[in-house]
Amino acid sequence: MSVGLKVKGLYFSYGKENILNDLDLTIDPGSFVCIVGPNGSGKSTLLKNISKALLPGRGEIRLGEYNLLSLRPKQVAQQMAVVPQDTHIEFAFTVYETVLMGRTPFMGRFQSEGPKDFALARWAMEITNTWHLRDRPVTEISGGERQRVVVARALAQEPRIILLDEPTAHLDIQHQMELLELLQSLNKTSGLTVVAVLHDLNLAAHFSEYVVLMKDGRIFAEGEPQRVLSSENIRDVYGMEVAITDNPFTGRFNIIPLGRSKAAAKNGRGVNVHLVCGGGTGIFLLDRLTQLGYRVSCGVLNIGDTDWSRAKALGVQVAEEAPFASISNVSARKNRTLMERSHCIILTSIPFGMGNLVNLELSLEALKQGKHLLVISNGDFDQRDFTKGKAGAILEEIKKNGGKIMINPQEVFSFLDEVRESLFPGQSG
Amino acid sequence: MTVQGKHQVFKYPFGLIALLLLLFFVCLAAITIGPADISLSQSGRTLLAQAPGISAFVSLDDVSVNRQAIILQVRLPRVLLAALVGIALATVGAAFQGLLKNPMADPYIIGISSGAALGATVAIITGLSAIAGYFAVPWLAFIGALVSTFTVYNIARVGHRIPVYTLLLAGVALSAFMSAIMSFLMVMSSKEMHQVVFWLLGSFSARNWGHVQAAAPLIIVGVLLLNCFARDLNVMLFGDETAQHLGIDAEKVKKVLLVLGAFTAAAAVSVSGTIGFVGLIVPHAVRLVIGPDHRVLLPASAMVGGILMVITDTVARTLLGSVEIPVGVITAILGGPFFIYLLKKKKMTGE
Repeated sequence: MSVGLKVKGLYFSYGKENILNDLDLTIDPGSFVCIVGPNGSGKSTLLKNISKALLPGRGEIRLGEYNLLSLRPKQVAQQMAVVPQDTHIEFAFTVYETVLMGRTPFMGRFQSEGPKDFALARWAMEITNTWHLRDRPVTEISGGERQRVVVARALAQEPRIILLDEPTAHLDIQHQMELLELLQSLNKTSGLTVVAVLHDLNLAAHFSEYVVLMKDGRIFAEGEPQRVLSSENIRDVYGMEVAITDNPFTGRFNIIPLGRSKAAAKNGRGVNVHLVCGGGTGIFLLDRLTQLGYRVSCGVLNIGDTDWSRAKALGVQVAEEAPFASISNVSARKNRTLMERSHCIILTSIPFGMGNLVNLELSLEALKQGKHLLVISNGDFDQRDFTKGKAGAILEEIKKNGGKIMINPQEVFSFLDEVRESLFPGQSG
Repeated sequence: MTVQGKHQVFKYPFGLIALLLLLFFVCLAAITIGPADISLSQSGRTLLAQAPGISAFVSLDDVSVNRQAIILQVRLPRVLLAALVGIALATVGAAFQGLLKNPMADPYIIGISSGAALGATVAIITGLSAIAGYFAVPWLAFIGALVSTFTVYNIARVGHRIPVYTLLLAGVALSAFMSAIMSFLMVMSSKEMHQVVFWLLGSFSARNWGHVQAAAPLIIVGVLLLNCFARDLNVMLFGDETAQHLGIDAEKVKKVLLVLGAFTAAAAVSVSGTIGFVGLIVPHAVRLVIGPDHRVLLPASAMVGGILMVITDTVARTLLGSVEIPVGVITAILGGPFFIYLLKKKKMTGE
C-alpha cells in the first residue's frame, strides 16, 4: 500500500532567514518524485520538513490521511523511511546490526528481534548488495558501501514512502544506477513512493516520473521531466546554458552543461557570427561562441549532421537541408540571409565536395560585400578539396579578397574581440 | 540467518551471568579480607544466616559475635556501597557516552561532580556536618549535583532541543565556575581543607547502612530504568535525526536519560565523593571488548564497574595497613595509565 504526502503553505526559516516560502506540494501515492535545484534552493530543507527532522514555522503536512506533525516519531517511522545526506557513523556496530535497527519502529521496549525481522534485514541487504558485508564493522567500510547499508536499513523498515537526500552522492556510477534502478523497481512492483533530492539532473531526468525544480525556497516548476527540465528553466534557475538532447539508449533525454549563461558572459553581446561547418568540426566553436554571448547562426547543414544536432540543442538558427542532399536554392537563399545578418563568417575545417561547394561560394560573396571571413585551416585544404580544384580556386580568391586563414581557435576569439571593439568602442570587458 | 539471530541473542547472557557471579564472589572476598582474621567460609555463612529460611541450616558456631558484627555492620555495607557506586557510575558513564556520542564523556560531564563537590564543601566548611550529623555532607552534595545539572541543562537548551555541543560546553563552563567558588571557600577556611580534599578524592571509609539505604533505592531504580533505554541509545548513536527517522523521540529520550543519569550519579557521588575514572574507563574498556550494543554494554559495564570499585576499595583500605588511601586515588592511579594505553592502542589501529 502506498502513501502520499501533501504539503500546504509551508514556511520554514533558520532564524530570520526564510528558507521555504509558502510552499505547496502534492506527492501522489506510488509516484517517483525527484527534487532538484541549485545549492541553497531549499530542497534539503524541504525534505527535512516532510521527514519531520525539522519543524515548519507555518503550514500543513499530511502523510497519507494523517497530520504528520501530530504523529509520534514511531508512527511516522512505521510508514516512512529516510536516507539522510550524511551517513557518517562513529560507533562500530556491524553492518548486520545496523540494518537490523531498521526494525526499531516495530518493536516494543522489551521485545527482541524475531524471525521476521531477521528475514527482512537479510532481504534488504541482499537487494542492496550489502549481505557480504554483514559482519564487518560499519566504521570500516567505504563511504559508498555505508550509503548502501543506510539504504538497506531504510528498506528493512518496510516503508510505504522513502525519502532520500542525495542518495547517490558517495556512489560510483555503477552503484548510482544500481540504487536508482532498485528504487525504481520497488516503486513499480510494490508501489513504494520514492522522493529523492538529486544533484544530478540527468539521473533525475532518467528515473523520475515527476520533477520538482526549486529556486529560492519556492517551487519554480514541477511536472514531467521533459517539461520541467527544459533549457529555459535550467537557465533561469541555475544560470547555466545547457543542451538538451534525446538519449537514444534510454528513450529519455540528456542534459549537457555548456557553461555559464549569456547574461553572465558579455564578451560577444551584439556581435553576430555565422559558422560554415559540418560533421562535428563546428561543435567547439558553437559551444564556446554561444557561451561567450555571441549571436550564432550556421549553415547550410544537413539535417541529422552532428553540428546540426548541436546547433539545434543550443537553439542556434540554422539554414538546413534534407539529409545527405546537395544544397538546394532554397536553403542557399536562407543561408545568404543569415550571412548578411552576421558581422563575421567562420569557415571550419570541413571537406568540400560538389554538394556543399555553394557554402564556399556564398562565403566569398559575403566577403566581397564587406563581411569578415575567417578560414580555419592548418594548410591541409588540398586534402579536403573533393571538387577537382574548384574549392581550391575559390579559397585562393578568398585570400586575395582579404579572407584570413587561422590555425587555432584562440586567434578566432581575439579577432572577434577586435570586431566587437570596432563595433562598440570602449565597451570591452 | 538463524545463526545470525542466535549470535545476537545468545552470545552474551552467559557472559553477563558470569560477570554477575564474579561480582558476588568479589564482594564476598572483599568482606573476608581485612585486619580481622575471617575466612571465606565464615563470611559466606554469616551472610547466608541472614537469609530467612536458610538460617536454620547454617552453623555459625566458629564465628564470634564480634566478627559477625564486623562482617554485617562494617564490611558488608561498605562493600555493598562500593558495588552500588561502581555500578551507578559505570552505567551512567556508558549511557552518557552513548547519549552524547562522545567516548570521552563520563557521569560528571554535565556538572554533577563539581556541583556535588561545592555542596559538600559548603556542608563541611559551614560546620553543618558537625551540627546536623554525618548526613549533612551527602545531602548537600546531592542537592548541589542536581542544581548544577539542572543549570547546565537549561544553559544548554535551545528551544526544545538540547544540542550535544552546547551541553558539553555548558558542563565544562559551569564546572570551572563552581570549582573556582569551591577553591575560594577552601582558601578562606584552610582549617577544613584536609577534610574537603579527602571528600573530593572519594572514599568508602566509615560508611554504614544508613548510606546504603539512602543511595541504594535511587541507584537501583536509576540503573534499571537506564537499561530500559538500551535500544534507544543504540539508535541514537547514529545521530538524533536518524534516531527520529527510526521512530525514536530523540529529544525526549535525551531529556529522560539526562534526568535519570543525573539522579543516579548524584546518589552515588553524594555517598562516596567524586571518584574519578570509573565512569569513563569502564564503559570504554567494555565497549572495546564487546562492541557498542547498549543492550549488553550497559549491564556489562555495571558489573565491571561494581567489581572494579569493590576491588579498588579493598586495596584502598588494606594496602597500607592502618592508613587508608582514598579510593579515588587508586582508581586514578590505575585509570590514568590504562586510559593512556587505550588511547595509544586506538591511535595505532587508526580508528
